[in-house]
Amino acid sequence: MPGKRCNCPLTPDPCFLKFILFHPIKALSARRAGAAKSRLAGWFKAMDELTREFLIESQEGLDRMEQCLTDLETRPQDAALLGEIFRSVHTIKGTTGFLGFKRLETLAHAGENLLGLLRDGKLAANRPLITGLLHLLDGLRAILKSIETMASEGEGEDSALIEQLVALQAPANVKQPVHAKVGATFSAAPAAAAPQAPSAPQAQAPVSAAQAPAAPAQQPANAIPAPVVQSAAAGSETDASRPRAQIAAAGSAAESTLRVDVVLLNRMMNLVGELVLTRNQVLQATASDPNMTLLSRRLDMVTADLRENVMKARMQPVSNIFSKMPRIVRDLSQSLGRRVRLVVEGQDTELDKSLLEAIKDPLTHAVRNSLDHGIEPPEVRVAAGKDPEGTLKLRASHEGSHVIIEVSDDGAGIAVEKVRDKAIERGIIAPERASQLGEHELLQLVFLPGFSTAAAVTNVSGRGVGMDVVRTNVEKIGGKVEIDSRTGKGTTLRLRIPLTLAIIPALIVRSVNQSFALPQGSLSELVHVPPEQAAKTIEWIEGAPLYRLRGKLLPLVFLDRLLMPAGEHKSASERDSFIAVLDVDGRRYGLVVDGLADPEEIVVKPLSAVLKVIGLYSGATVLGNADLALILDPGAIAVKAGVTMSADRDAEGADSEEEDTNAAKGMEYLLVEAAGRRAAVPLADVLRIEQIPLSRIEFIGDRPVLNFEGQLMPVEDSGGVLAAAEANSASQTDREPQIIVVVCREGNRHVGIAVSHVLDVAAGGDLFEAGTSQRTGGVTLLKDRVTGVVDLAGVQPLPVCENVSEDWNQIAETVA
Amino acid sequence: MSTATVSHKKVKASVLVEVCSVRLAETWFGVPITHILEIVGAVRPQPVPLAPAYVGGLVHYRGDVLTTVSLRQLLDLPPNEGAQAILVLESTGGCFGLLVDAVGEVLTVSSTDHEPNPSILDRRRKALFAGAYKLKDRLLVMLDPERLDPLQLSQAHPD
Repeated sequence: MPGKRCNCPLTPDPCFLKFILFHPIKALSARRAGAAKSRLAGWFKAMDELTREFLIESQEGLDRMEQCLTDLETRPQDAALLGEIFRSVHTIKGTTGFLGFKRLETLAHAGENLLGLLRDGKLAANRPLITGLLHLLDGLRAILKSIETMASEGEGEDSALIEQLVALQAPANVKQPVHAKVGATFSAAPAAAAPQAPSAPQAQAPVSAAQAPAAPAQQPANAIPAPVVQSAAAGSETDASRPRAQIAAAGSAAESTLRVDVVLLNRMMNLVGELVLTRNQVLQATASDPNMTLLSRRLDMVTADLRENVMKARMQPVSNIFSKMPRIVRDLSQSLGRRVRLVVEGQDTELDKSLLEAIKDPLTHAVRNSLDHGIEPPEVRVAAGKDPEGTLKLRASHEGSHVIIEVSDDGAGIAVEKVRDKAIERGIIAPERASQLGEHELLQLVFLPGFSTAAAVTNVSGRGVGMDVVRTNVEKIGGKVEIDSRTGKGTTLRLRIPLTLAIIPALIVRSVNQSFALPQGSLSELVHVPPEQAAKTIEWIEGAPLYRLRGKLLPLVFLDRLLMPAGEHKSASERDSFIAVLDVDGRRYGLVVDGLADPEEIVVKPLSAVLKVIGLYSGATVLGNADLALILDPGAIAVKAGVTMSADRDAEGADSEEEDTNAAKGMEYLLVEAAGRRAAVPLADVLRIEQIPLSRIEFIGDRPVLNFEGQLMPVEDSGGVLAAAEANSASQTDREPQIIVVVCREGNRHVGIAVSHVLDVAAGGDLFEAGTSQRTGGVTLLKDRVTGVVDLAGVQPLPVCENVSEDWNQIAETVA
Repeated sequence: MSTATVSHKKVKASVLVEVCSVRLAETWFGVPITHILEIVGAVRPQPVPLAPAYVGGLVHYRGDVLTTVSLRQLLDLPPNEGAQAILVLESTGGCFGLLVDAVGEVLTVSSTDHEPNPSILDRRRKALFAGAYKLKDRLLVMLDPERLDPLQLSQAHPD
């Protein structure tokens, strides 16, 4: 069996067997981390457990402090917030004392004095004070960073910062000692602290529990250096009652959570992948043995369960990066003179840790862009009749196997004409070409490198290295970016991120007698070219092969010629060819392969450095049949084969001119036939076309539904295709009847349309009613025939729970 | 003169080294077992189009994809069509596999029996071999795992 591994005990010598058992993965994973990281790992190992614990806890504390500080701006009287901030700084100070980080201790001490006054109600939190505290936070972070990377506090001067903190304690800022006010703060504190602890994310809870016992011991000592006279008894009373409330709340969380090294999780993920493959082989090998069936079935189930749980362990809520945004929004809106309200939704949506890291920068960029280019200054907003305070919305949600992250603002929007003029001015696009582009297409130009519409280059954005970086970074992890904007109303940037990086959907293709995996993210369609048609449909301009795809010329890349330049190749007229039409980084081309196999969810494995430099492969994977397949990198293939963006665009431009003469508006439709009638479905809404056995269609009442990727989807059958197929199957008993379902997106739901044939894709034209010049709805001109457009919005949603019996509720839950 | 050197060595130190013997065509080679992580038998590596010639292909190894080096190709021997064995070796650049025809036994040899590469050896082999041990009935040519690392090879044969 190829690929099957066995440890061959070639000799009985015991010392030989000894090293078979040696486990290599530890060595592997440590090396994979780059040089800088391995240096850090070295220091991490050398650093004692206590310091490491201190660093992790302090960073978590500071993250929480940052969040509280930005919240404090809106709720300056919130005693719970002040208490939380105080504790963060206090814990750092307390721990540094015996770890011997003097610089850190001095700075934390200065901050603590100020915070003590704030907490006791002797100072009121105002904007300069919060800015000062944010500076303190940055100062503390810088020192912690230096401890982590260089094992020392570094040579820095904090006296300016300390002076600033001391100045903020000055009497001008001190409130008149109103005793009633102080009393109110004290009594409010314990009550407020208790509900706050459980609301904190679980991962943070153990820290609060750890730091809480330290607090009461140190507290009375700190109260003394505070310049404002303070009752010692009152001080210890608050401190004694607060931690107790918190310990009670956090105790259970601390016992049920555990910190795990990411390296360990990665390794577990790897091993689970290995287990899945071994299971596949066991299942194949034992399929014929009835005694093994039960056992292998059980192995199958346990493996699937294990894999799911390990994946779950790697998930983190997006709040990890969303929580960084309030600070960015605050700082930027101040420096830009904007008034912005940040609204965050779907914080607990979870994403793989590595992906979360990868979208941090693009997201920050998008937020900066919204503030700089999107939301206008208050006076402009008022003049435009809007609320002077702009709204920036961050929203995360699930959609199938993707997580959608939206950054939307209610600002000025993107002026499409400006985009066009700028693109022409920068030479990104030819003027003739620009005049043919629709509004949506013009908007996408902002993703091209070297593009910026900002009138002036500010220190925030406008250097023209913005959106293309966002797109590149998101596409690198298999995601997609869409932009939508309405002048005067605002802009929405939508990032579509796959749930995990490790597993991607791919199409397995064959070439040079080998299997290759082609990521489906960039695959737009497949075309079969039978040998007898090859000579006619594949045309050549000198040495460049081209295919006429619905009237447009598509440059072709023969995978076998690219991979084996020296080898003998059969021409397309001697064998079946398949063209995979790929869309990547604005390049569109057809990759010609010898064969297609099934689509598969593949686990991406990195390649060694020698093979990475070839540049055509983004990794390798192990297929279900235990064969190895290289993962093709569509972008790199385009570059290697010389498919450039400009050439492509010129070709497209020349084509669409021709096209435009017979199709006024280039909206494309999928032409289908349902029980003898032709109908059109807007191509933009079509997600996929599935051929399924009729038996997979189930019924709720008399509504046909399909369980599609684990979700229940209504199937529209106005043409009576299902009934026709049923009748057909009665006459033909030899094989199960198949029907075709076109899966479409309609708003946030998926809708299936049962059809008997899919005919073609064609550009439709608007029809105008004679005399009135009114655009008629519901029909379009396809191939010179008037064709009805399927009304997707008209497909009735599935019955909602209340008017369905109990059983249906349960079914809906299990499906969901 | 030669006897003088040998006796001198003997006086100095006699360190025992464990060496795994591997066969390639008719020749036996030795690899120090300290560098071997695992031996995997009967594999057919997946070829990688456009890879440097010395890359023998990819194999699946403990959940990872391992790059292998074809010793036959390096020594200009005709390719082996049958199944091969792989020594998983560890070097400074990471792990890699070494494709050989067969794996023999582990021998314990004494450093006193070691001789450096002979001067008549061609340059390429000189770069790959690390001398030889004189066994009773034959010579065991030592391979240097560091020099067989694909990263090292890519610098030595930039093709």
